[in-house]
Amino acid sequence: MAILLVTVFGKSLSAKSAANDNRIPIVFWHEMGGPSEDALEQVVDGFNKSQTKYKVIPKYQGTYDEAIQKILQTHGTSTSPAVFQAFDISTAQMIHSGYTTPVQNFIDQDNYDVSKISSVARAFYSNGGKQQAMPFNTSQPVLYYNASLLKKYGITPPPVSPSYSDITRVAKQLYEKSDHKVKGMTVQVYGWFLEQALANAGAQLANNNDGHTGNPTEVKINNPDTVEFLNWIKENIKSDDFIDYGSGASAGANQTAGFLSDKVGIFIQSSASIGQLTKNNTNKLGITYFPHPDNKKANGVAIGGAALWISNDKPKDVQRGAFEFIKYSLKPEVQAQWQKSTGYLALNKDSQKTKILKDLYAKNPESKVPGEQLAKAKPNYSNSGILMEGMQLTRQLEEVAMETVYNGGDINHALDTADKAINDNLHQSNRANGYK
Amino acid sequence: MLKTSTTNVVPEKKVEAKQRQGFRLNANDKYYASIFLGPSLLVLTLFVFYPMLKTLYISLFLTNTLGNTTVFTGLDNYVKLISSPDFLSSMSVTLLYVVAVTVLTVSVGLLLANLASQKLPGIGIFRTLYSVTMGVSVAVAAIFWLFIFNPSTGFFALMSGWLNLPVVNWLTSPTNAMWAVIITTVWMNLGFTFLILLGAIQSVPSTLYEAADVEGASSRYQFFKITIPMISPTLFFVSTITIIGAFKSFGLIDLITKGGPTNATNMLVYRIYKDAFYSGNYAKSSTEAIILTVIIAFFTLIQFKFLEKKVNY
Amino acid sequence: MSTVFLTNVCKQYDSEKNVLNNVTAEIQSGEFFVIVGSSGCGKSTLLRMIAGLISITDGEIKIDDKVVNDLQPKDRNLTMVFQSYALFPFLSVWDNVAFGLKARKNLSQSEIASRVDNALKMVDLEGLKDRKPRELSGGQRQRVALARAVASDAKICLMDEPLSNLDAQLRIKMRQEIYALQRKLGLTLIYVTHDQVEAMTMADHIMVLHDSHVQQIGTPAEIYKKPANEFVASFFGVPPINILPAVKISGKKINVNNDFQMQIKQQVPVDNFKVGIRPNEVMIEAADELEANASIRTIEFLGDEKIVYAQMNNNNIEVAAIVPSDSQFKAFDTIKVSAGDNVLLFDNDGINITKNAEELVNA
Repeated sequence: MAILLVTVFGKSLSAKSAANDNRIPIVFWHEMGGPSEDALEQVVDGFNKSQTKYKVIPKYQGTYDEAIQKILQTHGTSTSPAVFQAFDISTAQMIHSGYTTPVQNFIDQDNYDVSKISSVARAFYSNGGKQQAMPFNTSQPVLYYNASLLKKYGITPPPVSPSYSDITRVAKQLYEKSDHKVKGMTVQVYGWFLEQALANAGAQLANNNDGHTGNPTEVKINNPDTVEFLNWIKENIKSDDFIDYGSGASAGANQTAGFLSDKVGIFIQSSASIGQLTKNNTNKLGITYFPHPDNKKANGVAIGGAALWISNDKPKDVQRGAFEFIKYSLKPEVQAQWQKSTGYLALNKDSQKTKILKDLYAKNPESKVPGEQLAKAKPNYSNSGILMEGMQLTRQLEEVAMETVYNGGDINHALDTADKAINDNLHQSNRANGYK
Repeated sequence: MLKTSTTNVVPEKKVEAKQRQGFRLNANDKYYASIFLGPSLLVLTLFVFYPMLKTLYISLFLTNTLGNTTVFTGLDNYVKLISSPDFLSSMSVTLLYVVAVTVLTVSVGLLLANLASQKLPGIGIFRTLYSVTMGVSVAVAAIFWLFIFNPSTGFFALMSGWLNLPVVNWLTSPTNAMWAVIITTVWMNLGFTFLILLGAIQSVPSTLYEAADVEGASSRYQFFKITIPMISPTLFFVSTITIIGAFKSFGLIDLITKGGPTNATNMLVYRIYKDAFYSGNYAKSSTEAIILTVIIAFFTLIQFKFLEKKVNY
Repeated sequence: MSTVFLTNVCKQYDSEKNVLNNVTAEIQSGEFFVIVGSSGCGKSTLLRMIAGLISITDGEIKIDDKVVNDLQPKDRNLTMVFQSYALFPFLSVWDNVAFGLKARKNLSQSEIASRVDNALKMVDLEGLKDRKPRELSGGQRQRVALARAVASDAKICLMDEPLSNLDAQLRIKMRQEIYALQRKLGLTLIYVTHDQVEAMTMADHIMVLHDSHVQQIGTPAEIYKKPANEFVASFFGVPPINILPAVKISGKKINVNNDFQMQIKQQVPVDNFKVGIRPNEVMIEAADELEANASIRTIEFLGDEKIVYAQMNNNNIEVAAIVPSDSQFKAFDTIKVSAGDNVLLFDNDGINITKNAEELVNA
């Protein structure tokens, strides 16, 4: 009885407050935790203040992975969001779900100029020539090194777009010259990095051009470029200049701690970590592009992060409001401030001209590097992400393969095992979904 | 039975009244039964029977991206799982974990409880220390141990640095990670186990030990021949709780290893969670859930058989 | 040859209070020695100190002319029977008896088996050897505990209130069995009890403990007839001895409680003292109110006798008197109380000052 009363009472209360605010509520689900959540709420506040018609209500949903299931399972109910943030590897799932309205529809209606928005980022979330979702928080993997330590031991820093052997050289020198006190390098066990190594080598993981020209039916991780990437790591493991921090969130935290406390000199991480690495670092931070195979030019890496999607289970005006919010979030100043507060890259090309970013670069010149890497890459099928369902599981299997190699396993065998498991899953998933 | 015996005792006139009352109850038996049983049946149906049957149902299909059942495959999911080396390794990893956690928790708990049951000055401090993990949440424990295991700045790493030993990769080597998770779980379990066992040991009548002292039994002999048999019901209880807890271990795994490296700590429960809520493969995770249910049911059965036969004296 | 010597044995848990003070005693080989006292007097502590389960603070314990102060219980070559029997609930009767023998690890299997079987036969439990303790009655459990003592073959046996968990009937039966067993095996038995009847009926010698001191050690007859003090006198005998204040009038004539006068057999060195009259020495007769010095409160019927409890006119003192059961007293009757000359005299500190005790006994 009491519960019933509270429910009734609570309902009437919320109805009242809604009546005071005549704006159309736009429920926004996101997965930004910590400092990024504050920055995101700033964006939302900015939008709400600029608006008389719509009001965005942000709601935090936990991790990317879990949020996907919530979005899919609540679709069509009153709790589902009008606009939501879904991460890179769920793109195929979202497109196939049929639960979203492609942002292309609104772009066409508004004649919105998307050419200002980073093309590599856009390419990741488009399919069949249509922009499905709008990239929002975007990062790229980059390589960080401890410039102060390199200087201390008189080691020539790596070039801005280094090859595998450039990094190996620095890592080995650092390990030897520091009298084995500092490990040369680490690469976190993270499927994203393996995928980016392939992208940067211009290779593809799934057939049908990584899914951009049709639903993938076959995956092949065991290709020469993966082998070369893993061999690079293995060589460093053998020379003992490599330290393994494992996989998962704690591994990320541990390797950052190790880097900041001079235990390891080089690591690969998302550009979004840059804020953390400059703020708490007594050493000078060095940044390069993601390393590429020795005999190839860098093809450029795909983006990571997430995009904003519009649900199609909400009325027209709500969907319209969602797109207004998306447009606002991509304004040059908003993106510039976003990059400054979070480390995610500003996607609007005009953001680079803003005072916010100019000041930032003047203070920390190295923070320019990730943006340059993004700007330099020309989108092609290899560096536009993998449009395939079941990427979460695929990544887990990639990570198992990486761990196997890190622990001394045979590269070909590990990759074959992963291929078999990924393909089994892919075939079953295609069968379950009725894809050809 | 009870009713007739009451009516036999009461005098004649009252019998009639009693019987009438009894009949009225009888006539309304179904009504009362449904009133009393209804709510719990409803709750059980909604939250236990329906989900269980639904899980069983889903496990006979393939599910698509949206989690809907699409293609009926019969027992295919089961056949696939049972023949998948990946799943079998999960099973053996789980069993290894459950056995190691239970054996270590109970034996270390017993050792500490036995030490702390000695009547020595200042023993109260140790009793408090040993039981302190009862008040520690999984999250706090996980963070605490992650700090300890950190290969660059962790306690173990610093120790080996001072002693000039090679750093052990606690969380990145498959065997070590398993031990890391086992150690953490045992550490978490110890407080509760210790307290329960201490209580049991202290309630063993002291004259039993005095009698044994007089008869010349060594303290080792007394421990194995008196303490252990006397607290065997408690030992059994603690083991059961630990086994079931270990099978359900989730929080620590999620926070410390996420099932890695190379699935070395991918216990069944964690696997079910990951397959459903990360990969969205509800058919697979339903199948795994059913298999886990069968395994746990099997263990429960064994334990009850054992309970009836062995432990009660 | 197993004599136990206690010399000035003391026990102190904290500096404030001694639990036992200067206990000195000699326990002869093959005797039934009973330590008796009310609860909290330290009798169980003393027994445990003899067993070696509790260390002694001061003094010396000798067994067979050997100081055993620092010896482990197992090295003192004795056995012990506990009030709770200390049976292992998870072991059968047979295994319970065999427990100590197995623990010592110096006996062969066949030796153990024959000793256990023999002990069980001795206490008449052969038929129940496969039962668990919970399937036994109280008396049977007690016998298992006895069998354990028997099987150990040690010549000194300590018993801590072994009968107090049994009902009255069974207690009498087991009392006899224990006595018979002790005699048969020639055990030196040190037996702790709070029950003066047990002490009286079984003991060769009794040690009375009270207030952490030994009050008296002696044979049952000595204890009863020549109690060292008021406490010992009150402790033995049912109903307990009546203690009344008395004043010397002249010579051997005394005034008891201002209620009646009597002649005693001796001169008393002090003017104020106490007189102890056993209930069977109290004489009562019906009297009218003017003559009476007491009135009856209650009467307990015992068969051949009755116990009359009466309140004296002065000081609210109650006395008990044993009278034949056919005497016609009833509650609230006024009576005249007097006594024969077979009485005990105590000074105001409770010390027995009765002279010529030997003559009094023979009188």
